Amino acid sequence: MSVGARFESVGVAFGGRPAVEEAGFEVRPGERTAILGPNGGGKTTLIRVLLGLLAPEQGRVVFFENGREIPRPRIGYLSQRSTLAADAPLSGCDLVALTLAPAAGFRRLRGVREEAHAALTRAGLPGDKVDLPVGRLSGGERQRVLLARAIAGAPPLLVLDEPDTALDAEGLATLRRLVAEEIAAGRTVVYVTHDSDAMGGADAAFQVDRRVSAGHAHVHFAHVHGTPP
Amino acid sequence: MIEFLGYSFFQRALLAGALTGLLCGALSFFVVLRRLAFVGSGVAHAAFGGVAVATLLGFPPGLGGLAVSLAVAGATARASESSGVTEDTAVAVFTVAAMAGGVVALGFVKTNVDLFGLMFGNILTVDPGDLLLLAGAAAAILAALVFFFRPLLLASVDEEGARVAGVSTGAMRLLVLVLIAVAVVAALKVVGILLVSALLVLPGATARPLASRWPGFLGGSIAVALVSVLGGLLLSVALDIASGAAIILLGTCLFVAALTAVRIRAGRST
Repeated sequence: MSVGARFESVGVAFGGRPAVEEAGFEVRPGERTAILGPNGGGKTTLIRVLLGLLAPEQGRVVFFENGREIPRPRIGYLSQRSTLAADAPLSGCDLVALTLAPAAGFRRLRGVREEAHAALTRAGLPGDKVDLPVGRLSGGERQRVLLARAIAGAPPLLVLDEPDTALDAEGLATLRRLVAEEIAAGRTVVYVTHDSDAMGGADAAFQVDRRVSAGHAHVHFAHVHGTPP
Repeated sequence: MIEFLGYSFFQRALLAGALTGLLCGALSFFVVLRRLAFVGSGVAHAAFGGVAVATLLGFPPGLGGLAVSLAVAGATARASESSGVTEDTAVAVFTVAAMAGGVVALGFVKTNVDLFGLMFGNILTVDPGDLLLLAGAAAAILAALVFFFRPLLLASVDEEGARVAGVSTGAMRLLVLVLIAVAVVAALKVVGILLVSALLVLPGATARPLASRWPGFLGGSIAVALVSVLGGLLLSVALDIASGAAIILLGTCLFVAALTAVRIRAGRST
């Protein structure tokens, strides 16, 4: 069953200066939702609230499945600027496997590395690069590792923060294919972008410039939602 | 030197050295990975204040050292998480305060305090009780590192990615600092406050440039720590020099050798 999210009057301020005010909109289950807007408009702030990385000062984000409220589900996330240490002593497979099974415990987890391997292959990382340390990968290959981490384990909600800025043309084509596959499998995708064409359109779009307003119309968008202030 | 191996005090010293090497080598992996060299050193130095105050009040010195090291570790983690102060800044402030408190306390102590032993340790005087304490602490710390290894490793290389995956990165930060504090007090008798801080950094720093993935990095760190402690102990007997200093000097030689090996390897590949 697909998962959705509802922003209820979310407000965030940094040092007393409001970044987002009264944001109220719904990410519908099983759809592609685009968040558009100018730099500094609060797009990434909203994403961080959705991910639980930032606690809103006002309002809340509610996740739901089949009409019922649920706890925050597992979320696959591709960030605009990864915080992964450039010299991390991990291979792509290590990183994806750790993200798939991050819980403490004495047990050695079976099948996790195979699942990580499959995600890396889906993300287009060549087989001979899977066990190389991430520091020895090119920028594009590294981005594919991060993309693999986002989609690994089939999270019900996939969040992509300006994915088109760090990927080359081939990587972008892979991402579009993966997003289409995720949607076809009933999963929900949210992405932040400056260029709504980059991801091949969306089912819904919201314009964010401190406040969330009706999404701007685009030929690729099936329909547009918004709750004007 | 062979005849020394027959003495029980030397056997205890070797065992204590092996436990300290294992403990510090495993922790050094996370200290270097998380760039906590200064923080680890600070938490180690903070034990001085606790030992001094405990001596003044008539409590076991190790208990005082542990309490103050834990307090500094906790305050550092809290300050860096909630107020935006970096870990190195926070630990610098709390450590000098703890050490200053220790100096004031020592001024009121009427009995002789073995400051030299406190700062540099003496592995050859380890008694069965010390050994038992060290073994217990080593078992607890290593069990904690194994149990929390996955979230600790993920939080150490990608804090935001770890948080999205559901790891409490604040708890992981505090855990590392607490384990450092416990290790410092456990290894106090073996290498002393000053030298334990070096042993928390040198093994990881030596292994880091030689290994590109974590298994080699972690294994190398433990190996370097064991070679440093056991080799340094044997050297100290052979050359009749202070054991703590011999351990650290050998560790430093291994660090320089590792850097030289990396430079030679880089030169060959260009």
